[in-house]
Amino acid sequence: MSRPRRDPRGERATKTITAAGRIRLDVALRAARAAASGRPRRDPWREWAASLVDETHRKRYDRSQRQMSREEAARFSTVRDTIEATAISPGQPALRVIEKPAFLVFAVVEAAGGRLSRFDRQVLGAARLLADAGDGGGAVVAVIAAGATAGDAARGDDHETGLGAAGADRVLVLEGGASPSGRSAAMLSAVEGLSPRHVVFAEDGDGADLARRLSVCLGEALFPAVEHLTARQAVRALRHAKAEIGLAPPRLMTIGEDRAKPYEAIPCEARRLDLGPFAGAGGTAARGDDSAILSVEIIPGDPARLSLSETDFVVSAGNGVSDFTAFRALAAKLRATPGASRVVCDAGLMPRAAQVGASGTVLSADCYLALGISGAPQHLQGIVGCEHVIAVNTDLHAAMIERAGLAIVADAQRVMPALLKLLGEAGA
Amino acid sequence: MKTVVLLSDARHAISGRATLSGLEARAISLAAALDPAPRGLHAGGGAEGVSAGLGHGLQGLDVLDLPEGADPVPALAAHLQAALGKNDAPGIVLAGRRGEGGLETGLVPYLLADALGLPILADAVALRQGEAAGTLVVDQAMQKGARRRVTIRLPAVVTVHPLAPPPRPFAYAKMRRGEIRFLPTAEAIGDTAGGGNGSGSGEERPHRARPKLMRTGGTAAGAHNLHVGPEPEEAARLILDYLEANGIRRYGDTRG
Repeated sequence: MSRPRRDPRGERATKTITAAGRIRLDVALRAARAAASGRPRRDPWREWAASLVDETHRKRYDRSQRQMSREEAARFSTVRDTIEATAISPGQPALRVIEKPAFLVFAVVEAAGGRLSRFDRQVLGAARLLADAGDGGGAVVAVIAAGATAGDAARGDDHETGLGAAGADRVLVLEGGASPSGRSAAMLSAVEGLSPRHVVFAEDGDGADLARRLSVCLGEALFPAVEHLTARQAVRALRHAKAEIGLAPPRLMTIGEDRAKPYEAIPCEARRLDLGPFAGAGGTAARGDDSAILSVEIIPGDPARLSLSETDFVVSAGNGVSDFTAFRALAAKLRATPGASRVVCDAGLMPRAAQVGASGTVLSADCYLALGISGAPQHLQGIVGCEHVIAVNTDLHAAMIERAGLAIVADAQRVMPALLKLLGEAGA
Repeated sequence: MKTVVLLSDARHAISGRATLSGLEARAISLAAALDPAPRGLHAGGGAEGVSAGLGHGLQGLDVLDLPEGADPVPALAAHLQAALGKNDAPGIVLAGRRGEGGLETGLVPYLLADALGLPILADAVALRQGEAAGTLVVDQAMQKGARRRVTIRLPAVVTVHPLAPPPRPFAYAKMRRGEIRFLPTAEAIGDTAGGGNGSGSGEERPHRARPKLMRTGGTAAGAHNLHVGPEPEEAARLILDYLEANGIRRYGDTRG
């Protein structure tokens, strides 16, 4: 369906005979097809089909006019093989390429473990917003530390695809070593070499630290913990959130969590940027910090002792679980934090602190494994923020099965020993 | 080793009165574990709020007299520079990671470290002496409960994270017994608290609360990944494969 769009008005104008006093149309004039506008023809049927969200019994359409992300497009093409996912919005490219950027916007992402976190996507979204501000034409440069990719060399491609879908036009890998002062020196040379219009950091952990180091090195003001960001102004709170300051988006800023929307349109290309032209520039910040740091060691958190709101992976037990010794052993083997539903906590089988849901803990974990939980609305409210949900339940029609990304209709009591056995074989 | 705790001009969240910042109270308890006689250092109008630090475990408090709204960094830097040149120089300078009730930029420790030429480590939750003399082991808080253990040669500036152990209980008598020294500052310093500390040129106005993004879960369709009545072994395999494919966890080599 890529016929060019017809222009009826233009056709009518060419068929018009104005020789006599009265306007007449030469209907037989078939050759006089007016020059088409060049836009391909819209296909409303296809657009409706593309905006169908879920394959459930009740149809849901998302008509928010947004482009499909690459991930969704892939899912869509597997579900509806008769329609090409890229042809859903004809005239729109499948990949957004900015060949000659008018200016650059740096987004410093942590990408711990080679995966973009929710917050990283928000930082990239904020940078995308600033790059498209005004006349647009800016390019987002995702700045990642060298260690973040080196750890996952095999999955390097996946990593960059993720950056592209999150809105990065270019990727810059900083070779600054592990020490914070080394990172800030590398960052300084990149900023001096490429002179971006804005540099956006996350107001969290290493990003916040790097932003302040860079601000001091450059002697430029930092606008920290931005709460509200548009193309025209950035706003931040101060004095215990009693006052605020708003100004045109400054050069250096850190953005608070859940304050900027992640980018959700056509994937960008995430081209690797060469360090060549400015590799040797700016050694001004190289201070003696590196020699002061004698050793660095990373101690991973112990999931068993983390609180539910802090952890990234929760294994939860519901009414379908009766063997809690096996459940605790499974949580320890999976390196997950144990949680529970209200029924289990009421029965005193798990501590109240482990309760997940509206009246317990609202999770911010990446993954949630629900064993024998049917999914009461109050429980589902607690896992709204979880990206991946796995459900094991005997009831095919349970709400949790519908919510889950991987749904297994089986008895949790029988799946737990099998999981333990498999983990034991794997030597985990 | 001698420890100095920087005390900021914090304001109480509700009443707006001068108070001791919670982060700095934590910093004091970390300092008291390393040094039997930690000292506080405050640059500002008076010792009204920060004197509570004496009750939490400080042995003495130095207050640099500064007019309202003046930039504290040059005065602090000059004082610490003089102290570092002396015989019993402070080894550790502790600070909170952000101020409370002020501009809340968190830049002062970095500016100070830059002025003194000291290394700085952020977000400490635990401190202890290193094995070699003149070293310090700092546990930095990271995401998801992870810690980064850094050994650093002193002197250094260290900022404290809110996840550090809670402060020692307050003792009124200790606060009364503590010694407060008021020190004059060398030169009058220009008013830069508005522009120099990153608040920019924007005008302050009453705060307007803005909603955060909602954490809506992905509507991953269960129908595509639904397995009805698999064998338990098959189900276990599916779960582990899903976890590994999405990069949640890796459990060694689970392939047959």
